[in-house]
Amino acid sequence: MPIKFPSPEWLNALNEKLNTDERYAKIAAKWEGDLVLVFEPTGNLKEKLYYYLDPWHGKCRRVEVLQGLEGLKPALVATATYDNMVRILTGKLDPMSAMMTRKLQIHGNMALVMRNIPTVLDLVRCARECVDEIL
Amino acid sequence: MQSILKINLSTGETGEYSIPVEWERAYLGGSALATRLLYPFLTPDLDPLAPDSPLLFLNGPLSGTIGPAVGRFVVCGKSPATGLWAESNCGGFWGAELRFCGVDGLWITGKAGRPVYLWLNDDRLEVREAAAVWGKDTYESQVLIKAEIGIPNAHVMTIGPAGEAGVLFAGLYCDHGRAAGRTGLGAVAGSKNLKAIAVKGSKKIPLAQPDAFARLRSESNVAVKADNIAQVTHALGTAGAADYADYLGTMPKKYYHQGTFENVDKISGSTMAETILAGYSACHGCVIACGRVVRLEDGAKRKGPEYETIVGFGPNLLNDDLPSIVRLGEICDRYGMDTISASNTLGLALHLYEQGILTEADTGFPLRWADPTVAERLLHLMARREGIGQWMAQGSRRFARHFGAEEEAVQVNGLEVAYHDPRGVSGMALVYATSPRGADHNQSDYFFVDWGQAEASLGLQYFSKNAGAEKSANVARHQDWRTVSDALVICLFANVPVETLLALVNTACGYDLDVEELIRTGERGWNLKRAINNRLGLTRANDKLPKALLEPYPDGPSAGYVPPLQEMLAAYYSARGWDPLTGKPLPEKLSSLGLPDVAHDLWDS
Repeated sequence: MPIKFPSPEWLNALNEKLNTDERYAKIAAKWEGDLVLVFEPTGNLKEKLYYYLDPWHGKCRRVEVLQGLEGLKPALVATATYDNMVRILTGKLDPMSAMMTRKLQIHGNMALVMRNIPTVLDLVRCARECVDEIL
Repeated sequence: MQSILKINLSTGETGEYSIPVEWERAYLGGSALATRLLYPFLTPDLDPLAPDSPLLFLNGPLSGTIGPAVGRFVVCGKSPATGLWAESNCGGFWGAELRFCGVDGLWITGKAGRPVYLWLNDDRLEVREAAAVWGKDTYESQVLIKAEIGIPNAHVMTIGPAGEAGVLFAGLYCDHGRAAGRTGLGAVAGSKNLKAIAVKGSKKIPLAQPDAFARLRSESNVAVKADNIAQVTHALGTAGAADYADYLGTMPKKYYHQGTFENVDKISGSTMAETILAGYSACHGCVIACGRVVRLEDGAKRKGPEYETIVGFGPNLLNDDLPSIVRLGEICDRYGMDTISASNTLGLALHLYEQGILTEADTGFPLRWADPTVAERLLHLMARREGIGQWMAQGSRRFARHFGAEEEAVQVNGLEVAYHDPRGVSGMALVYATSPRGADHNQSDYFFVDWGQAEASLGLQYFSKNAGAEKSANVARHQDWRTVSDALVICLFANVPVETLLALVNTACGYDLDVEELIRTGERGWNLKRAINNRLGLTRANDKLPKALLEPYPDGPSAGYVPPLQEMLAAYYSARGWDPLTGKPLPEKLSSLGLPDVAHDLWDS
């Protein structure tokens, strides 16, 4: 069955991908820090979404669909409009371009990001490879 | 804008100069406006260190307004290092304070009969004896002058001993370590016996639509503070980019001859933040606060280094000791020497020594990579123009030329290359080759565009970091945009949408510019800088890169690649409307920009 983005199934598929992808395991070997992807409603998305991931040393310890950020202090929060998230995940928007042109906003531990941009980029690759259909 | 105060140090004469209204709109301010103002005076026979050489400090229309990172000013003239157009851009509080005095610029000519400093307090200008501060470093000078005038919150722009001694990469310094470092204008000030300029004002900055401007200013500051680039530069300083620059192969090592350096993480902005960071510093009204305050083992708080200083005294010299980089940067700041040119020239010395072109008989002691004590010793010699330092103080081109190895110097037209390697980001090949002030990374920080900051709203496209001629027009467009930045004068780290910036300009000045007109002011400024340089003798042959940057790295992320400079240049001249044979802007281009007089000077006389 095709995996639709965004959906809990897509998040679970990403979890599995991060735990089985050898290239990611190698590139992300030093990564320590959880993150929340926040999708601002635009286009076909009508409600804000919060997807939690806990990548750790080239694997992913947990994923979860959240209702909000209350009570959480993740290492990173990455926020974008749904349309821009789709553009990133379909390869139409480069993730570095998105970060440098105000289309993907990052909050949190900037040292973690700047030391590990290859990991961030490879996480995006894995996320792209889990998308079969767009909402 | 407000008027400019003209001061002749030879005669003591002063006068107010009103900027023609049509020039304000056509050039906006800052270094673009300075090109128009200085155009008649920057002639081939002008000695940059002679009394009639102008030194023009100029604000932009947003300076001091507490807009998004606009507390900056420029200083312009003719460079003693390059013999070409000179400009340097500085943060801190000095420029804003100058505006509060009711003037937007200081236009200084002449030479005082003895060392002096200027003290401008609102409308009152004094020329004061500087004997007590002549010879003092830039930090001491600021403290002593503030004490003498008795106003602790005045702001002092000063040169250090390097400027006094005529080191050709001496800069002007204010607000502790904020520097107008490049192109040697500190040596121009020193040649005029001008030690410093203290300013304190109390006037309001005129704005055409103050309420609308205030609303926009507030909104844009909120947006800037939330922006990723601002968050990185606040949290990690500009050296926060070090890891990524290393990953992409855009960070030079071992004087641009080595592609890898395993200990970059030991000297990165992230490591600085986790180890020695003790605080932050900001320029006037800036919400980013990229400035670092660090504490070393002696417990004293110091200015922390930014990216260029980190790389220049770090990987460039194969040095991975962060505290030593802090100290080497401070030595430069205190002497009043540009850290890029100083560290680049140090790297050249080590390179020439390794090649056997320099020997211990020339240097007086053995030179070694990865040895901060050698670097420190050479910096002192350089600033004092002693021993080998007398040659190094003239910059890398003259230094290498003296030892018969000019082609080894990594410089363009006399300005040392900054630490963004075009073998890692090809756009910087064009930037360095065509910048009006030599190998410069601020007239266009195109490495950011090659990393991904391709703003569609500016008409910029994203090309791969190794793309060639297809990105030439994009580079030209970005240069025009950054000429707007240097006109306003806004910090390059303020990632403000163009529409917001346009609205700020229009409400501040009462204009109705659109985006294309705004960028056209940049194109006008860029072409006028080029025309000034053409008149000073620059030709197409000057649009080049040094040998080292046209040889591939043997290792690292950029191994095997060199940018196709000639193809990129050909496309660039075409995009610019410049003559491919001479490299001069064509008459029709100049006329279309409202510069028929310049077209006549370049082509008919």
